[in-house]
Amino acid sequence: MRFLHLLAAEDPSQTHHWLLPETAEIIYGGIAALIIFAALYKFALPAATKALAARTERIQKELDNAANTRSAAEAEASNIRKAVGDIASERVRLLAEADQQAATVLSEGRARITAEVADLEAKAEADIAASRSRSSDELRAQIGQIASVAAQNAVSAALNDGTKQELIESFISSVGGAR
Amino acid sequence: MSEARIEAYARALADIATAEGTLDAVEKELYVVARAVESNESLRATLSDESIPAVRRQAVVEALVGSASNTTAQLVGLVIGSGRGRDLAAIIDKVVKRASNAQNREVAEVRSAVALSADQQSRLAAALERATGKSVNLKVVVDPSVLGGLIATVGDEVIDGSVRTRLDQVKSRL
Repeated sequence: MRFLHLLAAEDPSQTHHWLLPETAEIIYGGIAALIIFAALYKFALPAATKALAARTERIQKELDNAANTRSAAEAEASNIRKAVGDIASERVRLLAEADQQAATVLSEGRARITAEVADLEAKAEADIAASRSRSSDELRAQIGQIASVAAQNAVSAALNDGTKQELIESFISSVGGAR
Repeated sequence: MSEARIEAYARALADIATAEGTLDAVEKELYVVARAVESNESLRATLSDESIPAVRRQAVVEALVGSASNTTAQLVGLVIGSGRGRDLAAIIDKVVKRASNAQNREVAEVRSAVALSADQQSRLAAALERATGKSVNLKVVVDPSVLGGLIATVGDEVIDGSVRTRLDQVKSRL
């Protein structure tokens, strides 16, 4: 509104152009503008460039760090995946090995038990045979003992003085006729 | 006692009997004494017991030899008094062997369940001489464990015709 009032207050008879400033004003204004631009170029531009470069470097560094972190994470993930794979294969191997060992132990155990049973059977049969033989021997020995006692008693009863003299005479005759 | 000591005692006893001129009679009497000692455990223990006074053992010897000759009694007393009662039988056996060898005869020990008559002894000695080809000095030992028959030992040769041995063989077979 104020600007419109100023425009309305201008005097059309004046030589000064309503739009363009005075020539001197243009010169002074131009020089002032140049000085400001030079100052900006001289002082503000390096600082801004430096700040920009620093910011770029920081961002790049962050990007690099992020890349490194990602690479490490991927490597870790790879290791984990590999470890998981190794664990799975180890588990399979261990299970297979355990199965094999179990089968071996079972087989050996069966063979051992079979052998032990055979040994026990053989031993039992030998014991039975030995016991039978021992009983038979003991019985035979008892019979022999009883028979020998009976024979001794019978001989002693039969050996009267006459028989003893006959035996002596028989001995003398047989020894004397031996040569 | 060692064999050499037994031999020494036997030689001494035989020499004494020879010097006395009674070797033949003494060895017969000594043989009877030896068999009596051998067959009687308590008698052997008494004669060997050093704790029994020598006088008492001498008395036992005198009772043992009884009617034997004085030389025999003294010889047995000598052995007992020397503390060699344990080896009396072995010493006497050596004396008998020496006496037999002096007459070029071999000791023929015959074990019988019963005593043999003089005739049987004479015929048995002749039979053994024919069988072994040696002149024998017959010594008869009455041993009831023989049961019947005879066992004759001449040197290393044994002629066994005893019932005891046959019974043992039967027992063994049974």
